[in-house]
Amino acid sequence: MFIQSPIVERLIESFRRLPGVGRKSAERYALHLLSMPPEQAFDFSAAMREAREGITWCPVCRNLTDTTPCVVCADDRRDQSLICVVEQPTGAMAIEKGGAYRGVYHVLHGVLNPLEGIGPDELQLELLFNRVKGGNISEVIVATNTTAEGEATALYLARRMGALGVQVSRIAHGVPMGGGVEYADAMTLAHALEGRSRI
Amino acid sequence: MMLHTLHCRRFRGLADTTFTPGPGVNIIYGANAQGKTSVLEAILYAATTRSHRTTTDAELARHEGHEFHIVANATRGNSPVTIEAHWWKGAKRFKVNSATQARLSDILGQLCVVFFAPEDITLVKGAASGRRLFLDMELSQLYPVYLRALQQYRHALRQRNELLRQHRDDTEMLAVWEAQLSEHGGVLMRMRAETITELSEIAADLYGRLVADEPLALTYQPDVGAPDAIAETLARARTTDLNRGNTGRGPHRDEMDIRIGDKSARAYGSQGQQKSVALVLKLAEVMLMQRHIGEYPVVLLDEAPAELDSNRAQRLFTVIPDAAQAIITTAQPIELLPLSRENATLFQIEGGCLEPGTH
Repeated sequence: MFIQSPIVERLIESFRRLPGVGRKSAERYALHLLSMPPEQAFDFSAAMREAREGITWCPVCRNLTDTTPCVVCADDRRDQSLICVVEQPTGAMAIEKGGAYRGVYHVLHGVLNPLEGIGPDELQLELLFNRVKGGNISEVIVATNTTAEGEATALYLARRMGALGVQVSRIAHGVPMGGGVEYADAMTLAHALEGRSRI
Repeated sequence: MMLHTLHCRRFRGLADTTFTPGPGVNIIYGANAQGKTSVLEAILYAATTRSHRTTTDAELARHEGHEFHIVANATRGNSPVTIEAHWWKGAKRFKVNSATQARLSDILGQLCVVFFAPEDITLVKGAASGRRLFLDMELSQLYPVYLRALQQYRHALRQRNELLRQHRDDTEMLAVWEAQLSEHGGVLMRMRAETITELSEIAADLYGRLVADEPLALTYQPDVGAPDAIAETLARARTTDLNRGNTGRGPHRDEMDIRIGDKSARAYGSQGQQKSVALVLKLAEVMLMQRHIGEYPVVLLDEAPAELDSNRAQRLFTVIPDAAQAIITTAQPIELLPLSRENATLFQIEGGCLEPGTH
C-alpha cells in the first residue's frame, strides 16, 4: 500500500516535526498533499523553500526578516532607544499587531532553562548587551512570558542590564481588555490586584 | 456538600448497585473483604480522580476487566452536581454535569471529601514529607493562589537543582532561581503559618473532646526562619548545595510539629495516641474546609471506630457535626458499636452487595 512507501513515510515524518501535529494529522496532511493537483503541491514546496532561504535573523534584533536589517530596525520613525525583549518572533508579532508600540525589539530565541540545557550562552544575549553598551538606549522592556523560566530570564536581564546603567522594566500582568473580571482566572486576578494603579 | 447517590458498575468487588446514603452519619458494616473500603474508594475516586490504595486504575476494574464506571449525584451549595468517572480500556474520562472535563482543577472541588484510612497514622508517625503533603493538599484545595505558588516553587527548585547537579558554579544563574524560590516560597511559608495556627486551634479542641484532656498543639517549624530570609539562606548555602548536588534549605524542608503536652507525638506518642491524632487532623481538616468554603465536605472514615477504644468511638459520633454527611465503615458487629445517634443510617455489606441495615 502507498502508505508503507518510504517516500510517503518521509513526508509524514516531516509533517510530524511541526508543532501540534501527531501521527494521524501528519498522515492526513500527507494524503491531502498527494491528492492535490501537482502544481499546487509544487507551489507549496517552493513557497516553503523560498521562505526558508529568504528569511534570516536580523543582525541587529535577531527577529525574522527578509531585509537586512529588518524593517523595524531600519525605521527611523520608530524610537530606536527603546528595546522590547521577547522570547520568540511570535512575541514581537503579537506586540506589532497591537500597533501601539513604537520602539524596537530584541528576540532571545528562548529562555533560561537549565532542565533543557539552555543557559545564557544559548540565547541571543551578547548582542543585546552590546546594543545597550553601544549607548543611545534609554529603556529595555522585558516581555518574556510569565512562566518560571520567563520570570527567571527577566530577572537575569534586569541584573545584567542594571549593571550597565540602563532602565529595565517588566510588562504588567492583568485582566484582558474588554474582558469581564468574572472571566479572569484567580491567579491573573490576584496579580492584577497586586499591580493595581491609582485612578 | 451532600452525596445523594453513588452508582458503581464493574468497580472492584462491588455488585452493580446504587448506594443511597442519608444525611448525617451513615455506617457501612460487614466482615472484612466484603467491599466496605471499596465503597469509600469509589466516592474518593469520583471526587479526586484517584484512589488511595493504588495508582494503577486497572486494579479498580472488577475481575481484571477492562472497564468500570462511577456516577455520583451530589449537592454543592444549593446546586446539584453529577460527576461521572468512566474508565474504559486504559483511558479515563470524567464528566461534570454531563460535560467532559479534561483538567484536574475542573474536577477537584466539585465534590469535596475528606478521607481517613488506618494508613493515615503515617501522617503522625512518618516522615515530614507526609505532613507537608497533607498541608499542601489542603491549602491547594482552599486557595488557587497556593497551588500556583507551589507549582512555581517546585518548578524553580528543579531548575536550581539541575544547575547544582551540573556543578555549574554560576552565581548569577543560581541567583535568578533563588529569587523565584524566595518569591513563591514566601507565599507558601506565610500561608502555611496561618493555616497551621488555625488548624492547631481546631485540632486541640477536637482532641480534647474526642481523645483525652491533654493539650495537642501543631506548630509550624519552617526550615528557614522567615520568608524574607529565603533568598539569603539559599545564597549562603550555595557551596554546600553544589557539593550535595541539590537544594538543602527552603520551604520544601518545612515541618509541622505535633505535640501532646510537651512531647512529640511522632517520637514519643503511643500507637493509640498516634492513631487518634491522625484522625483528629483529618477531622480538623473537615472543620477548616467548612470555615473557608461555607459547607462541610463529605467525611469518609474507613475503619475509624476500630482506631479508637469504645468510649472514644462513641465520642466520635458526637464530634462529627450534625450538618456534615459522614460515611463510616466498620468491621465491628453493629450491636457492639456504641451508637448514640439514632439518626444514623445503617448499611450492611456482604459479598459486595449493600443492603439497608438494622439498628
